[in-house]
Amino acid sequence: MKKIARRSVEHWTNSDVFLSDIDFLVIGGGLVGAASAWHLASAGTKVWLCEQASPGHGASGQNAGSLHFQIERRFLEREDGVGREGEQTAQLSRLAVQDWRDLERQIGRNLGVHMEGGLMVAHSAQEVRLLETKAAREQAMGLAVETIDRAQVQALAPYLSPDILAANFMADEGHADARIIAPAFADAAQSAGARLLDATRVASLQKRGALFEARLEKGEEIQTVTAAKVLICAGIWSPQIAAMAGLHLPLFPAPLTMNATARTAAFLPYLIQHVGRRLSIKQTAAGNLLIGGGWPSRLHRTGSGFDFSRAPALVPQSLTGNLQTAVETMPVIGEHELLRSWTGITAVTQDQLPVAGEFPSLPGLFCAAGGSAFTLGPTFARLVADQMLERRRDEADALLSVASPARFESLNGFMGR
Amino acid sequence: MSKRIGFVEPPAPIHIELDGEVVEAYEGESVAALLVLHRDGMSRRDRDGDARGLWCNMGTCSECFVRLLEHGRSRRVRACLLEATDGMRIATGSHTQDD
Amino acid sequence: MTDNAETSYDVLIVGGGPAGQAAALELAAVGARCAVIDEQARPGGQILRQPPVSFAAQNWVDENSYRPLRQQLRVFENQAAIAWLGRRSVIGLQPGPQGHSLTTSGADGLQELSAAHVLIAAGCYDMPYPAPGWTLPGAMGAGAMQTLLKAQGIVTGEPIVFAGTHPLMLLIAAQISRAGGKVAEVAFDRSLATIGKSMIRHCATALRNGSLLGEAGKAMMDLRRAGVPVRFGRPLQEITGADRVTGAVFGEADHPETTPCGSIGLCYGFLPQSDLPRQAGLSVRWSSPSGGWATCHDQWMQSSVEGVWVAGETTGVAGAPIARDEGRIAGLGIAAALGLITNRDATRRAAPFRQSRKAAMRFAAMLDDIAAPKQALDRVAASNTTICRCEKVSASAVRETLGSTTDVNAVKRITRCGMGLCQGRNCEHMLIRMSAAAEGRGLETMKGFTGRFPARPVSIADLLEKPLP
Ligand SMILES: Cc1cc2nc3c(=O)[nH]c(=O)nc-3n(C[C@H](O)[C@H](O)[C@H](O)COP(=O)(O)OP(=O)(O)OC[C@H]3O[C@@H](n4cnc5c(N)ncnc54)[C@H](O)[C@@H]3O)c2cc1C
Ligand SMILES: Cc1cc2nc3c(=O)[nH]c(=O)nc-3n(C[C@H](O)[C@H](O)[C@H](O)COP(=O)(O)OP(=O)(O)OC[C@H]3O[C@@H](n4cnc5c(N)ncnc54)[C@H](O)[C@@H]3O)c2cc1C
Ligand code: FES
Repeated sequence: MKKIARRSVEHWTNSDVFLSDIDFLVIGGGLVGAASAWHLASAGTKVWLCEQASPGHGASGQNAGSLHFQIERRFLEREDGVGREGEQTAQLSRLAVQDWRDLERQIGRNLGVHMEGGLMVAHSAQEVRLLETKAAREQAMGLAVETIDRAQVQALAPYLSPDILAANFMADEGHADARIIAPAFADAAQSAGARLLDATRVASLQKRGALFEARLEKGEEIQTVTAAKVLICAGIWSPQIAAMAGLHLPLFPAPLTMNATARTAAFLPYLIQHVGRRLSIKQTAAGNLLIGGGWPSRLHRTGSGFDFSRAPALVPQSLTGNLQTAVETMPVIGEHELLRSWTGITAVTQDQLPVAGEFPSLPGLFCAAGGSAFTLGPTFARLVADQMLERRRDEADALLSVASPARFESLNGFMGR
Repeated sequence: MSKRIGFVEPPAPIHIELDGEVVEAYEGESVAALLVLHRDGMSRRDRDGDARGLWCNMGTCSECFVRLLEHGRSRRVRACLLEATDGMRIATGSHTQDD
Repeated sequence: MTDNAETSYDVLIVGGGPAGQAAALELAAVGARCAVIDEQARPGGQILRQPPVSFAAQNWVDENSYRPLRQQLRVFENQAAIAWLGRRSVIGLQPGPQGHSLTTSGADGLQELSAAHVLIAAGCYDMPYPAPGWTLPGAMGAGAMQTLLKAQGIVTGEPIVFAGTHPLMLLIAAQISRAGGKVAEVAFDRSLATIGKSMIRHCATALRNGSLLGEAGKAMMDLRRAGVPVRFGRPLQEITGADRVTGAVFGEADHPETTPCGSIGLCYGFLPQSDLPRQAGLSVRWSSPSGGWATCHDQWMQSSVEGVWVAGETTGVAGAPIARDEGRIAGLGIAAALGLITNRDATRRAAPFRQSRKAAMRFAAMLDDIAAPKQALDRVAASNTTICRCEKVSASAVRETLGSTTDVNAVKRITRCGMGLCQGRNCEHMLIRMSAAAEGRGLETMKGFTGRFPARPVSIADLLEKPLP
């Protein structure tokens, strides 16, 4: 491959880097990768976006599409969940609200963004208390969340069950269209000058001198590329890629379940969640109701581990449990048909927090994965791109400190390279 | 025009309600057949207002979904697999919120 | 057969057509406890769709070729050891307590059934052929028109046009005409010369199957006598009408010829039902030349998953006699797997069915050759017709997206083609053809939509653990 000595971003250049084929290699064409590539290319750098299948092939094309900015139920389950980490996540949420409000305009493409508000509902007195504590914390963190009572809930959303005692309402919540988002960002990235390599798998990655060298495979075709910096945003596959570079990235696959009904006339402008049960409900622009909330499915297994190439198997109890919860919250759902249940795999860390930033033990290697990276994905992409471009770096570092891969240094300290 | 033909010796007629209109039918006859007889095969209007009809008559194409109104609730079912019974109430896709 | 409410059996059979019946009869004969589940109220399958019990039907499908199948159906209905679970759709196939379990849905809600062995004999369906105008009321699969006649005693809007590539439409047109329906014309897409060439290629088979060809000849004669023109080399361009079908346009774009009609039956071939096999992850292969996914199997009709068997048109569209032979072979294979007969016994008893299946396969190959829909499909792929009926996605929208990706699941996500109420059964075959062409790949190398639960859209209230108040 021809070596190109073209410089566009001066801050981080050094003599070795002049020899790289490209500035940035972004591995994984999900929402995070495609959005990062768009940011990087928009800064005038030479970017390749490498995707083993097609943009949106992974979790970004399978998720519920919720834009949820209230503190998540899974954090409320943890005693310490809303401490310092919660505070920082709330800060990221505030940024994400701003990002989402302007994304469609910025990239000039439809992403199906609807931010007309979200209700997190409660069925029991105990859950109502949880809502109140949560709202108080959120208000302290600068998130505009209010608690409304049964009558207000009914006035706002008469289709919710009269058994709902109260709800937290946040006007900024909503949803976007997971079907189209990664392809839209990939398209925008290409317009900005990034090169999309689809059906192309990163097969090896290593640091040679100051450069990263990656082997890319497209069917029988193989090519090697060198890059100054690399971003791993390969969702659940990220640990495999980090391993290619000799690093631990302790992310775990969480197989989930989603349900979609047939289309019906528009009636539900809000995102509906539950404070005590696993539930999310929304209506897409096309009219389908999407029902999810983190119900597990079952990963297929191979001789040596889990098989990510197959859609996880549906667990019947998750299906009925999810639909039962949905009907108890919104009885009218019983009159609709289940059109499709699907399963997808998302990546989680043990502390439930995302991973975004540079690996201290391998400078130039960045990653962005894990967590609710649909809601927060565009923000991760923007901040990690800033870090990679050495643009407002301190600010980005501070904002992402909660997610930094530095917390795995205890593990990566054992790894010789 | 669609028509019933000779090889059938139907039993005494029953009545069903199709979009509020009472039509004559035979026990066990499929609701899709009634749509063919009374609606030229039209099962609904789609979201653009276009007339749509049943296609496969065997439960595969999902073009014939109608609402069966019973016990104070409604279920969407395939008309081609639904057997008429006396007093049955049906709303076609032109008269529901379905798409 | 008996109506039955148990939830566990030795063998569960999906589909009460010729294949499912044949397997059930072999199994019942050696004492296996089996149940046959079908969406239809009565057994028979597509070829022998029965009228409601309350109809006293006379001369019901009395053509000679149906006789052996009617005979089998009678025996099946009289076999008390077989449980008949009609009016129930099978929506899920998954690993279960005894091996496999089926989720079924009916008017009384959901039911889980389990068995060590499951046989999928779900048949095939009319190829959804997306001629411009095909979403109008009155445009149907030719098989749909036939089942309306056979099972309901109804003739659709007259006069009727048939258009397509598959010779079955001759028989259907003749049946409708004999029953007193008015047929305007039968239009074959391909020229007589092309069809003749196919027949010459298979001339030995043609001669050996004189009686079946005779049936087609008789249909032609009956149609001629009734004054129905049968035309060849007459590709359908468009179906016209505002709120229902009023005409079929044939000929070249510069001098179109319109045949006025009240309904039109499209007959371009049949696609195997593949929802359950794909949901359960069985190996499938592209089914040439009509398309769709045929489930792979071994010599005993066992699929790539142990304990899941397939027979009939689920394995490829080849006609009812083959479906019946496959059902018998699968029945014997399962009986041996259950230890009810020895392998040697199964082998000996299956031999004649293998023999007749092999012979009939040659005839099926000839039919495939005659009916090849490729040209007709290429024509609509290049047009602006709606290929996804449910989401109203046009061929041109799909072509545009194919410029950026040829991954069918990605095209589905971007265009919504295949996301609607039919769950992709109507449009997937077209999308795959268009995608393969765009990429210059062979159809046999293509991947389809990911198979998902449920195999039919089902009311959520019916799925719940606790029924609604
Ligand atoms: C069912 C479900 C529901 C969810 N609901 C929500 C929600 O409502 N809100 C929310 O915020 N989050 C939700 N999530 C989480 C969210 O979807 C993910 O966090 C987010 O999509 C991750 O995006 P990503 O770009 O990091 O990863 P992905 O979208 O998984 O992208 C990774 C990409 O990397 C590619 N890749 C992998 N290996 C290689 C390789 N070797 N070479 C090249 N390419 C490679 C993959 O093909 C894939 O396209 C949900 C997840 C699931 C599964
Ligand atoms: C509409 C139509 C008409 C036809 N007419 C003729 C004809 O006249 N002459 C001819 O030679 N061939 C005809 N064919 C071809 C014919 O289908 C086969 O030759 C023969 O019937 C195949 O037998 P089978 O047992 O494989 O499947 P089928 O006879 O199709 O039986 C399959 C059965 O499975 C049931 N089923 C499928 N999926 C499910 C599910 N998920 N849950 C519950 N039940 C399910 C169906 O209701 C059906 O009763 C026709 C095909 C169609 C589609
Ligand atoms: S007409 Fe196709 S499902 Fe009823």
